[in-house]
Amino acid sequence: MLHALLAVIATLIHTALMFGLAPLLIGIVTKARARLLGRTGPPFLQPYRDLAKLLRKTALIPDTATQFYKIWPYITLSATAVTALLVPSFSFGLITAPLSDFITLIGLFAAARGATMLAGLETGFGFGGAGAARDALFSLFTEAALLVLVLTFVMLAHTPTVDGIGTQFRDGHIGLSVSLGFAFAAMLCVALTETGRIPVDNPAGHLELGMVHEAMLLEYSGRYLAMFYYAAALRLIIWMSLISAIFLPFGLANAANMLSWPGGLVLWGLKLIIGAFTLAAFEVATAKMRVFRVPEFLGVALLLGILSSVFLFVATKLGGS
Amino acid sequence: MVNQYLALSIGLPGHGLHLAYDPLALLFLAILTPQIIATALGPDRKSVAYWLFVAGMVLAVLAAEAFTLLLGFELMSAASWLLVLRGDRKPGTLYAGVAMFSGACLLPALFLPPGGIAFTLILLGAGAKAGLAPLHAWLPRAHPAPSAGVSALMSGGMVKVALYILIRYGFIVLGGAAQPWWGTALIIAGSASVLIGSLRAMLEVELKTILACSTVEHVGLIAVGLGIALRAKALGDPSLAALALQGALLCAIAHGLFKPLLFLGAGAVKHATSTTSLDWLGGLIRGMPRLGGLMLAGCFGMAALPLGPGFAPEFLLLHAVINAADTGEIISRIGFTALLAILGLSAALALGAAVRIIGIGFLGRPRSLRAAAAEEADKPVLLGMGLLALLCLPVALFPGLILLFLNPVINQLIPDAEQLPLGYAPAPLAFLLLLSAGAAYAVLKRFGTKAEREVHAFNGGFGKPPAWLPFGDPITQATGTGFAEPIKRALGVAILGPKTIDPGELYVLDPLRRLNVRFTRAAERVRRATIRQRLAFVFMALVLFLAALGFVQGT
Repeated sequence: MLHALLAVIATLIHTALMFGLAPLLIGIVTKARARLLGRTGPPFLQPYRDLAKLLRKTALIPDTATQFYKIWPYITLSATAVTALLVPSFSFGLITAPLSDFITLIGLFAAARGATMLAGLETGFGFGGAGAARDALFSLFTEAALLVLVLTFVMLAHTPTVDGIGTQFRDGHIGLSVSLGFAFAAMLCVALTETGRIPVDNPAGHLELGMVHEAMLLEYSGRYLAMFYYAAALRLIIWMSLISAIFLPFGLANAANMLSWPGGLVLWGLKLIIGAFTLAAFEVATAKMRVFRVPEFLGVALLLGILSSVFLFVATKLGGS
Repeated sequence: MVNQYLALSIGLPGHGLHLAYDPLALLFLAILTPQIIATALGPDRKSVAYWLFVAGMVLAVLAAEAFTLLLGFELMSAASWLLVLRGDRKPGTLYAGVAMFSGACLLPALFLPPGGIAFTLILLGAGAKAGLAPLHAWLPRAHPAPSAGVSALMSGGMVKVALYILIRYGFIVLGGAAQPWWGTALIIAGSASVLIGSLRAMLEVELKTILACSTVEHVGLIAVGLGIALRAKALGDPSLAALALQGALLCAIAHGLFKPLLFLGAGAVKHATSTTSLDWLGGLIRGMPRLGGLMLAGCFGMAALPLGPGFAPEFLLLHAVINAADTGEIISRIGFTALLAILGLSAALALGAAVRIIGIGFLGRPRSLRAAAAEEADKPVLLGMGLLALLCLPVALFPGLILLFLNPVINQLIPDAEQLPLGYAPAPLAFLLLLSAGAAYAVLKRFGTKAEREVHAFNGGFGKPPAWLPFGDPITQATGTGFAEPIKRALGVAILGPKTIDPGELYVLDPLRRLNVRFTRAAERVRRATIRQRLAFVFMALVLFLAALGFVQGT
């Protein structure tokens, strides 16, 4: 009974932090990137101000939009929000843990992506359609790579839920292995694509021809655009939490043990900040790819994912005999 | 096996028809019933061939022995051939040829002793009818040909009857002699179908052809599940077999609901705009909001998104593949890893194809005046589609309950199976989704302005189109072809070759066509022979015959 109550409280804290800190993380990345480029950059809280500004602006509805124009941002945002509730942040053992099957997560990412693609096609203008077509292309490889990675995780942890995988990797003596190294590299490629960062897409770019995620939102404004922006911010914090929960699970708390929470919170925050700075440094050091180079980049991710499984097969074969 | 037995004196002379039901037959009857009701609401119910088609399917499913099964199967094939001819005549011959091939494979197989040859023939016969690679190339040509209701029933029902025969013989009749390679063959054929079907569904432009290609994909998914189950059963792993079978059967149920729905919708689109080419549609949802909503529901299932009817089967199948890759020989484990990558690709392709149907066909601006002037579909069509959409709800939200109903079937096919609890719970997910959507709405209401203004679309800064182009220049929006172009360049060319021709066409149908031409030419040469040449033929034959006779007698 007490455990269930603690899990509920931990889940509430998790929810508040995920939804509250998502724009701040974007702010940190933007600031760090500007600093690395020698500019002052906008303040950390700028994303909150942007969202508040967009909420107060009149929404301009294109005359060629259909009845579904206002539904897509809701679907994108709520599917992403559900994912945010399922991915562990500072603690394992949240009440949503049994739902957090990795394949369900992949499905929820796909649902959010599908709604965004439909939003891009909604008004029937060129850039939205091009962005949606490119996103469809990238998603092929990310989804295949993620599924192969799930196999690696399931073989190591013997459970398909993210919560279980993270707990196993924290408590079990998995150690550093070649497989996990490959899996980590593949996961980073997928995460960069899914969150729309350089080298796949440039969130700060303003050239329509090179846009992917932004191009689909060109016809949205006001509060509907704010929903898409907020979903994008959530996606960044989800992917950072997901990667840190699987590959860097040390120090994460247990929901049942209240004393472990502060340590988990501090370490989660530290991991996010380090992740934000690493991302900024990577983005400054890399150039954006041409659209048709991206499949090659993601093909490498898929190959790494398959290699990580094959190495595990070989390892178990050698270990078993 | 058969508890209930009913003998009718009609049918083969001295033999009669033998009908029986068991859990498997009842399951497939339950899959067929909603689509029959939904399509019978349309204009097809006035045709005799349609009812013969329905009767053939029901007879094949309820058959108690091989004669009745074959009679039902052939009745179904013949009646559907008549219905295909009534639509578009072109693929009629191809369709009849494939139907005869299936019949010719099944006929000896049903009476052979259990063993590898019998299973191979069943796999060829039922697989050709179900559209399993490499014998799938006829399906995207023939299924779109007849009227919408018949297309719906062919894609949703006839294919399932073929799979029913595969299950009935692979698991029950020939079950005692099952070998692991049976399952492996089924998995390989299924994964090729999944890849080719989903890729072609993304690249095709005709709405009905897209749906038929997606049927090839779903048949492949079911075959992969059945193959894993068959292989695991032969290798003595009943829990994996049960998991894979759950996925395959649930996929058959879900596909039997959303695919007829989509085909009926495609028929309504054709009725309203006289085309089903995505490149001539666009913005249909304004004129046909109800049809658009129903099509969106169907595409939601086709894309296998969470909370849709297609996700639970996909979830079970993926877990079955992951479990299968977790143990066994290293070669088979690598094979299952590749299969997982293929399933991931095809899941994303299915989402892309579904987004393409809705985004290009129903959203955006009209690409032709007919698309702009489309009016809402007829009541019976909407009613049939609504019925199917309503039945999707329990599959989407309570798949665990459906799996409980599947338990007798799974116990019948795999006697010592134990069912694992489903790891995917859509009801709490739906609750969380509604909660977050509600929270978003509340935040917008509390902190945001409600002001809205309708303006000319931004469109990258271009001005308003002239008055004589009421929907702007149609060329400036992405077409169905254009939307698929990046995927065609990156993946289509790699898998289907530079001309993106289906390998089933290239390596199966084209050689057959060439063979046909060669035989025709030879026959023509014989027919055109002069009297002297003919006499020479006869004389040569006589000489050869006498020589052979002499040779035989001499020794």
